[in-house]
Amino acid sequence: MPNRKLPPPIHDIDRIQLPAIDTAQLDNGIPVYLISMGSQDVLKLEIIFHAGRPYEHQRLVGRATSRLLREGSAQYSSAEIAERVDFYGATLNIPINLDTSSIVLYTLSKHLEALLPLVADMLTQPLFPEEELENYVHRCIQSLQVELSKNEVVAYRTITELIFGEDHPYGYNSLPDTYAALRREDLVRHFENRYHSGNCQLLLSGGLRANSLDLLNRHLGQTIPRGVRTPAQISTRDTRPEQLWIDRPGTVQTAIRIGGRFHSKQHPDYHAFYILNTVLGGYFGSRLMTNIREDKGYTYNIFSTVDSFHHAGCFYIGTEVGNEFTRATIEEIYREIDRLRETLVPPEEMKMLRNYLLGSWLSTIDGAFNVASIVRTLVVEDLSFDDFDRSVARIRQISAEELRELARQYLRREDLWEVIVGESAPSGN
Amino acid sequence: MISYERFELKNGLRVLVHEDQSTPMAAVNLLYNVGARDESPEKTGFAHLFEHLMFGGSLNISDFDEQIQLAGGDSNAFTNNDMTNFYTTLPAANLETAFWLESDRMLQLKLTPKALETQRRVVIEEFKETCLNQPYGDVWHHLSDLAFRIHPYRWPAIGLIPQHVEEATLDDVREFFDTYYCPNNAILSIAGPVKSADIRRLAEKWFGDIPAGAIPLRQLPQEPPQQQLQQRIQRANVPVDALYLAFHTPARDHTDYYAVDLLSDILCNGNSSRLYRRLLKEQQLVNAIDAYITGNIDPGLLIIEAKTREGISLETAEAAIWKELERLQNQAISKRELAKYINKVESTLIFSETNVLNKAMNLAFFELLDDVDLINTEAEAYARVTTADIQRVAQQILTRENCSELYYLAGSGDGF
Repeated sequence: MPNRKLPPPIHDIDRIQLPAIDTAQLDNGIPVYLISMGSQDVLKLEIIFHAGRPYEHQRLVGRATSRLLREGSAQYSSAEIAERVDFYGATLNIPINLDTSSIVLYTLSKHLEALLPLVADMLTQPLFPEEELENYVHRCIQSLQVELSKNEVVAYRTITELIFGEDHPYGYNSLPDTYAALRREDLVRHFENRYHSGNCQLLLSGGLRANSLDLLNRHLGQTIPRGVRTPAQISTRDTRPEQLWIDRPGTVQTAIRIGGRFHSKQHPDYHAFYILNTVLGGYFGSRLMTNIREDKGYTYNIFSTVDSFHHAGCFYIGTEVGNEFTRATIEEIYREIDRLRETLVPPEEMKMLRNYLLGSWLSTIDGAFNVASIVRTLVVEDLSFDDFDRSVARIRQISAEELRELARQYLRREDLWEVIVGESAPSGN
Repeated sequence: MISYERFELKNGLRVLVHEDQSTPMAAVNLLYNVGARDESPEKTGFAHLFEHLMFGGSLNISDFDEQIQLAGGDSNAFTNNDMTNFYTTLPAANLETAFWLESDRMLQLKLTPKALETQRRVVIEEFKETCLNQPYGDVWHHLSDLAFRIHPYRWPAIGLIPQHVEEATLDDVREFFDTYYCPNNAILSIAGPVKSADIRRLAEKWFGDIPAGAIPLRQLPQEPPQQQLQQRIQRANVPVDALYLAFHTPARDHTDYYAVDLLSDILCNGNSSRLYRRLLKEQQLVNAIDAYITGNIDPGLLIIEAKTREGISLETAEAAIWKELERLQNQAISKRELAKYINKVESTLIFSETNVLNKAMNLAFFELLDDVDLINTEAEAYARVTTADIQRVAQQILTRENCSELYYLAGSGDGF
């Protein structure tokens, strides 16, 4: 019979290292990162363009341009693109974030060669048919209506607009009119000025074959035109923290967002602030989860997250709570923030935090696709590969005093925005 | 090809091990053979509430998550109509910590009034967040209720109504634990850089002395074949009209399961699929459309759902859907079209092997179906499906008598 009072020993994770990444350059100058790992015959190809919001001449043109790439090119109709991708059992995604748009192809290694001509045609000769644009706009406006009926969506949109300002590329929100204003010429212009080698980076991960790089070069290195990196266009405006309560009668839960400004991932405080955010609301054992869910039961989920983009960043706490718990939850959130500013994280919690983060770092380098997503972040943010080692070192070395200092600097009540969306509290409460 | 070793402890715990030396992480999956289908109609949502309570500490351990996090791991769980599944990934060097934690909570969970009170609230907030405060969030409640008369699939795993969760007592949860959380009602699977012999030793050490329980024989009322179209119109405060069609399908272990799964792919998996092409791209009747199977162990459902374009009635969209269903019944699909979806399945299965947690979960699930070798033979089962099979299952399943139809109309409704 085992002694159940005695926990098995916990072993320290002594080595967390990014595997060696091969780098190369295609004939047109596009940098390529090759992550060859794993025994399965599968590949992930990601073609990244720095063609997001900071590089738009018109709102939403970045998103619309990338979404329409799959809707017809010189050699393949929209239906043919879909048919070919599906026939090879591949998946073609076009994920966008605020800074970039990508083409991501998941395929069995054996089918890469058959699919590359199609990807190349989409990226060099897209047609942007008028009718496809019209339908796309129509679908977006309708799904926007659905999204706007969710309190948490309204809360997120509002707080990021307030933090960055409504003219900032990271701050503006899509509206039906913004979609309706999109013209085919805008997409063509955005495509011609942004989809070239200077704005492009390429990652191939998984079970690479000897000829993988040659294939990329033949189909993408000789077709995507040369160009130089486009500078960002950002109009910043000074914004000041405010509190906003958006009344939505008849909803059974209220969405809360409380957040503030932060920086890009290049900022020297980034890694330490990420750790502080983890303590506050970044994992199940966080202060917010432990207090507001596991002790009080006010919510199913509460989190805090750092959104660092290429040119700026923010962080915010988010939760949906029963209407009757709104006031109490807001109070507890500020109580937890103050506690981080006033007292030191105790040693046992520091240990749990450190081990948890090291374990989760270990899992981020487990497998080719996970490594690819780490490498993606580093190269898109213009960080060197040893930034990963620095993040590991930061986790190992950070002290409770440093965390408190950071909380005092960034988690000041007077610097935080607060957005509440839901049924307004009865007066006098 | 997934190699595995299978053994059973004297107390009935079934154990599966998959060695994968290419990763530093290990996955530990513990599946309990109890789901929402085992609940009483007056006390629904219970299996799921209980899943929450499993994280509240056990006889020798005050906090489950603290210990997992201390070991550098991450743990979570899900409950569906068929089962309750707990899973952990952690650095392989700390694997034994997961054995210690999982075995202690199987041996003796700490059930306190405070933990019950808190988790009842959390689950009620989850109910609100996922069903009541989301547009279309109660669709599953309507569809299960329409399609099933007597089988317990007639309520979703979250529960029929929040009141059932509110009324759960400490005695209820104690009885539930004693009845179902026993080694002979569980399947443990491990994947990662491990050795089978070590897992055998660890399983014996930590789980070997937990007594077996008397598991009640599962005797669920079987749903009789549906005789006529079921219809419901729901008005709710949603911005866009939506349409749902649900068709009864064979059980997970039926030979036609694979043909029916492919049928749902042919209908609407990927941008070249039939409903996506015809209704969304060509006729532009809908702005969103999907088709999928629920994949339940007992006979489940094939669902088609669509949101219509502004100005297009649900009737018009539905008529166009039926036209496509009839085409599948009247004409055999081409070999190439079928090959496309078999290729997709092959690809999906190979991609799922790149992840240790997936592999551990699949091993446990197939063991629950009493045929763990399915993990390696399912690809062939899909490949054996013929165009005639597709036509036959389309004729059997996609009929009006076998259909439950839900119209979800935009406007202001009374809510749930």
